[in-house]
Amino acid sequence: MSRRLAAWAWLALVLLAGLHLVHRIQDGLTFRTDLLALLPREEQDPVLQRANEAVSRALGRRVVALVGDTSRERARAAAQALSADLKATGLVSAAGDEIGADRMKAMGALYFPHRRGLLSEGDRALLLAGRGEEIALRALSQAYGVFGMADANLLRADPFLLLPSFFTGLPFPLSKLTPDDGLLTVVEDGTTWILVTALLAGEPFELDVQERVIGAFDAAVERLRRDSPGLQVKRLGAVFFAQAGSQAALSESSWLSTLSLGGTVLLILLVFRRVGPLLHNLLALGVGLGVGLSGSLFLFGELHVAALLFGTSLIGVAVDYSLHYSACLFDRTAGTPRERLAHVLPGIQLGLLTTLIGYMALMLAPFPGLRQIAAFSILGLLAAFLTVALWLPALDRSAPLRHGDGLLAAAGRLWRFWEDARWRPARALLLVALGLVGVLGLSRLHVDDDVRRLQSLSPELVREQEEIQRRIGATTATQFLLVRASDDEAALRREEDIAGALAALKGDGAIAGYQMPASFVPSARRQAENRALLRGALEGPYLAAQREQLGLPPAPPEKDGEAVAPLTLAAALGRGDVPFLGELVLGPGLHVVALQGLTRPDAVRAALAGVEGVRLVDPTADFSALLGKYRERAMLLIAGSALLMVPVLVWRYGWRGALRTMLPSSLALAIAPAVAALAGQGFTFFHAMALVLILSVGVDYSIFCAESGPASRAGEGGPDRRPVTMVAVWLATLTTLLSFGLLAFSQVAAVHSFGLTMLVGVSLSFLLAPLAARPKVTTPARA
Amino acid sequence: MTRIILALLAFLAFAPSALAAPPEPATLAEGQVLRGRFVQERHLKGFQNPLKSEGRFTLVPGRGLLWRTDKPFAMTTVMSPSGIVQEVRGTETMRLPASKLPFLSKLYAMLGGALGGDLRSLEGLFAVTRESDPAGWRMVLVPLKADDPAMPIRRITLTGARLVEAVEIVKPEGDSDILRFLDQELIAGPPAEDEAGLLGAADRS
Repeated sequence: MSRRLAAWAWLALVLLAGLHLVHRIQDGLTFRTDLLALLPREEQDPVLQRANEAVSRALGRRVVALVGDTSRERARAAAQALSADLKATGLVSAAGDEIGADRMKAMGALYFPHRRGLLSEGDRALLLAGRGEEIALRALSQAYGVFGMADANLLRADPFLLLPSFFTGLPFPLSKLTPDDGLLTVVEDGTTWILVTALLAGEPFELDVQERVIGAFDAAVERLRRDSPGLQVKRLGAVFFAQAGSQAALSESSWLSTLSLGGTVLLILLVFRRVGPLLHNLLALGVGLGVGLSGSLFLFGELHVAALLFGTSLIGVAVDYSLHYSACLFDRTAGTPRERLAHVLPGIQLGLLTTLIGYMALMLAPFPGLRQIAAFSILGLLAAFLTVALWLPALDRSAPLRHGDGLLAAAGRLWRFWEDARWRPARALLLVALGLVGVLGLSRLHVDDDVRRLQSLSPELVREQEEIQRRIGATTATQFLLVRASDDEAALRREEDIAGALAALKGDGAIAGYQMPASFVPSARRQAENRALLRGALEGPYLAAQREQLGLPPAPPEKDGEAVAPLTLAAALGRGDVPFLGELVLGPGLHVVALQGLTRPDAVRAALAGVEGVRLVDPTADFSALLGKYRERAMLLIAGSALLMVPVLVWRYGWRGALRTMLPSSLALAIAPAVAALAGQGFTFFHAMALVLILSVGVDYSIFCAESGPASRAGEGGPDRRPVTMVAVWLATLTTLLSFGLLAFSQVAAVHSFGLTMLVGVSLSFLLAPLAARPKVTTPARA
Repeated sequence: MTRIILALLAFLAFAPSALAAPPEPATLAEGQVLRGRFVQERHLKGFQNPLKSEGRFTLVPGRGLLWRTDKPFAMTTVMSPSGIVQEVRGTETMRLPASKLPFLSKLYAMLGGALGGDLRSLEGLFAVTRESDPAGWRMVLVPLKADDPAMPIRRITLTGARLVEAVEIVKPEGDSDILRFLDQELIAGPPAEDEAGLLGAADRS
């Protein structure tokens, strides 16, 4: 028998898919998590992405704490103990940006031979303005002054003390901190704050790293507080935010998923009072997920974690098919499992067809993420459908259920609400209310793709971060300038060319500071300019007098040519003595200009517009823009797929029937975002994805109702199957609400948006579904 | 380094009052002004002659210290609770706000301590040896921590009678500063107008 053969063939296919999946899992199945994979191919820029990752990683691994106490000694001891405890975990290393005595010595040794090519910005400006005398005076005042810090050796080699000035001019961030006996310190209102920094060896988003590092941190703080109760500790760093976030998500998802899974199982068991339907549903869903995953891995070779997440949700629709089949157990007229399947098959097939049309529309988008979601869902839904159609009747040994009368009567009430004349005022009221909510909400609808509003950052940590930034000075922004050139020298020149614009931005308050590799190692061109400037504007007019004033013998005659080669970036990087420089140079000709306290990205972008090879990279804004693109695309596709469904429905139900079938989901699609807008939410990609899902389940519910309506071909003259259908739709709605509607209670903004939209949309699709069926009383004209 | 010198300067005027048995202890209080001349010789290795400068100083308790160099060129240095400002011929060559240098506030704690005869803050950093005879006294300060990069000083010697008269600071590389204080007078009353102006200018940081 062909049906038997088909069932066996499907088993073989499922086994094959299962084997493929096992094989992939054994190979160590990982999912892509980078945003690059979600961008349309033509917009991908691997160099930019690499820079983005390098900078984000460097920033993300930084652990910063500020330890404060009214006693300097206690604060210092606590800071050192905390630092030691963190290092003892073996998961962090010293941040490497402390500027201790050894480091100063090493930097002195690196820069000293090249000093004639190094000028601080201020000194260079003075010399260019012909005010070299001020530099000479400054050196003299340091040599003679009561706070003279000049060292004899230095003064002999550098009588204008230009090198110390260059050092003071180096752009080190954390400007409010001062080294105090080896520890970076700031004193405020009698409290001494000591900076503790460390670098994570692992990723801040690894749960294990989070637990161990934060565990050690908290334990150390608790112990220190016991000894000195007045001790204050403020935290800053991605690892703290990530840990707080994952703690919240873990505790929330554990109760949400318990409630969702437990609720669904309990619901099915209570309704059917048998284990069979539960197992059937699990089988259909399990096969759907397995085949979907295996198949899309086969198709794409890899899968993005976002595709997995949304795809899994969309496959959840598949449970509607098996529930529809199972609900037929309440239909006493439907005898054998095969007959029951025959009753529901038209509805399920049509539901599948429309859903597949919807998801196939997602595949048209040039967005890899949407394509993966679509392929994953299409394969999963097909698999779930085939499982229901080919396997369930064969596996099913259940006889019709006898306990369903009350259930059927209850389910039938929804039909009556839409048909009985006595409910007419209530119906009108409901529709008016819906119309009002829709108009009010849609008029307030606004789009908001800002990813920052989707994150739920711990408010306590945000406050501590602000406190730290206020005390130690603006910290490095996640935004940065990426400088691209053919080689390091060209990149350094580019940076020197934009230094003026950046200084102006700093003056305007658009940024608080910046570090560019060229501040630490000027280009060879700039070093040559500096040497010429030094000779012409300072040594020429003032050197003899300066040496005489200092009591030094006249300078030896200038040697011809440049005996000392310019300092190169490679040399400075090679020794690793210059703090921050390593993080600013990503590769030859690929440099980062770090920005501190960026308040007006637009001003920075405008000031640098048109500068070749320099662009402001704003990972957060880029991600927001990406979400925006995905949102727009998803909305277009919803419209497209709704239109594509219409011909299928017209073929089946005629024009009027098709419009009636589309009506419930169309209303749900309009009112769900309206309610979200009334709740004060901006419309995001996550709302759009919920709408995709609402369209597919809504149309399914409508089709199920339309198929069982009195005028439908299957029902013509037959028994009234509508209450059974309504039980199925009712079950499908409840399970969907349990799995997605519950997400409305999530604290995570994105999940909450998705959940709330689903809650409203699916409930409405359910309530309005009977509208899809042709009215019981047909107009005489049509009869 | 700066911290030490500032500490010493603060100490110059008040140390005698703090010593156990000074010949004639002077106590400086709010409302008094100490003025005098100074001669500073900075001996630098490899330089044929010391860098010699001289000028006047004014100490106003609670307000700050003015250090006005007349030779070899005019230079004014003002140290106040808000920081240090140095000016040469009308050009500011150094300005260090106290907020950037936490030790400055510590310095004022030391200053207050010295006024009250409390030497513990200095004794936390130095081993102090004191000698005194009817003609005057002598005090030798040696850093407790050898080779401390934050304190590039090998030894400090203070000598004085009623007030501090000379200070010698020896640095690790062998460079040294010798300061002598002459014509010191302790007067009750407010600082002169120009002095008050300079002290006020330093507060604008």
